[in-house]
Amino acid sequence: MSTYRERRVMHPPIVNDPAVPLIAAGGLSKRYGRSQAVTGLSLAVHGGEVCALLGPNGAGKTSTMRMLAGLSRPDEGSVHLLGEPVRLGAPVLRRAGVLIDGPAFVPHLTGLRNLRLLWSATGRDWPPPALDDALDLAGLGDAVNRRVRGYSMGMKQRLMLAQALMRAPAVLILDEPANGLDPAEVRALRQRLRALASEGAAVLVSSHQLAEVQQLATHAVIMNRGTLVTAGPLDRLLGGARSLEEAFLAMTEGDDEHAAR
Amino acid sequence: MLRVELITQLLRARTLIALAGLAAVPVIAGLATASHAGHRDGNQGGLFGAATYSALNHTMASLDFTAPLLLPLAVALLASAVGSADRAWGTLRYLYVQPVTRSRLLTGKLAAVLVITAAATGCVLAAGFFTGLALFGWHAFHVIGASSLPEADAVGRCLAAAGYILLCMLGIGAIALALGLLLPHGAEALGASLALVIAGSILSAHQHNLAAILPMYYWQDWATLFEPAGTAHLGAGIAAQAATITAAVGVSVLVLLRRDPAA
Repeated sequence: MSTYRERRVMHPPIVNDPAVPLIAAGGLSKRYGRSQAVTGLSLAVHGGEVCALLGPNGAGKTSTMRMLAGLSRPDEGSVHLLGEPVRLGAPVLRRAGVLIDGPAFVPHLTGLRNLRLLWSATGRDWPPPALDDALDLAGLGDAVNRRVRGYSMGMKQRLMLAQALMRAPAVLILDEPANGLDPAEVRALRQRLRALASEGAAVLVSSHQLAEVQQLATHAVIMNRGTLVTAGPLDRLLGGARSLEEAFLAMTEGDDEHAAR
Repeated sequence: MLRVELITQLLRARTLIALAGLAAVPVIAGLATASHAGHRDGNQGGLFGAATYSALNHTMASLDFTAPLLLPLAVALLASAVGSADRAWGTLRYLYVQPVTRSRLLTGKLAAVLVITAAATGCVLAAGFFTGLALFGWHAFHVIGASSLPEADAVGRCLAAAGYILLCMLGIGAIALALGLLLPHGAEALGASLALVIAGSILSAHQHNLAAILPMYYWQDWATLFEPAGTAHLGAGIAAQAATITAAVGVSVLVLLRRDPAA
């Protein structure tokens, strides 16, 4: 991945009213069979914010992100992106960049062909507005013209990030975006996400890498067992804790002990 | 979405191998019988016996050879992949967030099955015709035990036969697509599709009581177009294939509309 170079891509205005959250969920609940994945979760991410969605394994983070991206229908509650309701295939998703459940490509096509395939699936003209910046971040060089079948996990992850970023999104929903990236690539990704947020985008990131999250996020939503533990600006959530890790463990372990009783 | 499906499926090695395999059958059969050009091929009757008389004869004999099993197996292989591949690769969720709607996705898949089925049928027809033209030449359509068919009449019957077979293959293609969408894994859809083709063909060949309700039962009806005293009775076959396609597309719509893609 190459070093981040600041470029400006012309975006349409994101939303007129800064009070309207670009990502909003109200009272979300979701059950898969006998397992209650999410219960009554509400969250809001405004333009300019990088919000970390945190929680131990099984907390309901990915289920929440699936509902936010329209991939899963909530049993209860509602989801809005840029003030518009979200469902599977909703038009507003054109302005959202999504990475969820890991990278996925057609293995016998090249990286670039895969990007083109996804972009053109809705009939849009190639290339997308921020393709160069996205490929710059992916840093795949000539490998972008090789078949994805031969890519490493990290290369696939970077190509998937390029897919999410190439549309110059107003909203980003990224599930474990730093998986498989080396430290330099993580730093370049952090810089790009911050830059997007500074341009007015809302970024929601789930991650287990708390040290990285502490450097990136302005806000955090912490979940455990499918419910909201706490949410707010990161500084406030940290309180007197020395690190996000310490604060996170105090909140989630305490919650687990409480649940066990 | 049609372009997406065609790029992902037609550029796969197994698709190209399947199509090449279908095209190879008429070429190999033509080369094996080339020494009988202009004469009856041994003591065989029907379309096989007359295969060496002309390009059109060889084309129809090729279709007669492949249509009962090889062609439907290839169509089932390709159509089940159209239904299941994007889920197996994980690209389905990324198509949905582009965002591709369910109706657009289904329309693309149906159109892709139509194109791929036509390509598979076309491979047999084209390979049969050009091999026959090279080895046996352009002559009147020979019918064993009767006078040859006039050129225009023969071309018309060949086109009718090709259209009928295409409809039959669309029937099995629609079933394979529905299985690809319905079953959890592509391998299961492929296995079920192939098992259905083989079991249906066996039951139909043995005139089993159940056979008449199967679309495979009517697959060979087109051959009566070229029998001396025969009259084509394609109506029941057309109705059976249309009902099969309608039912399979209905299942595909239900599966795609009701399934939670993250479930």
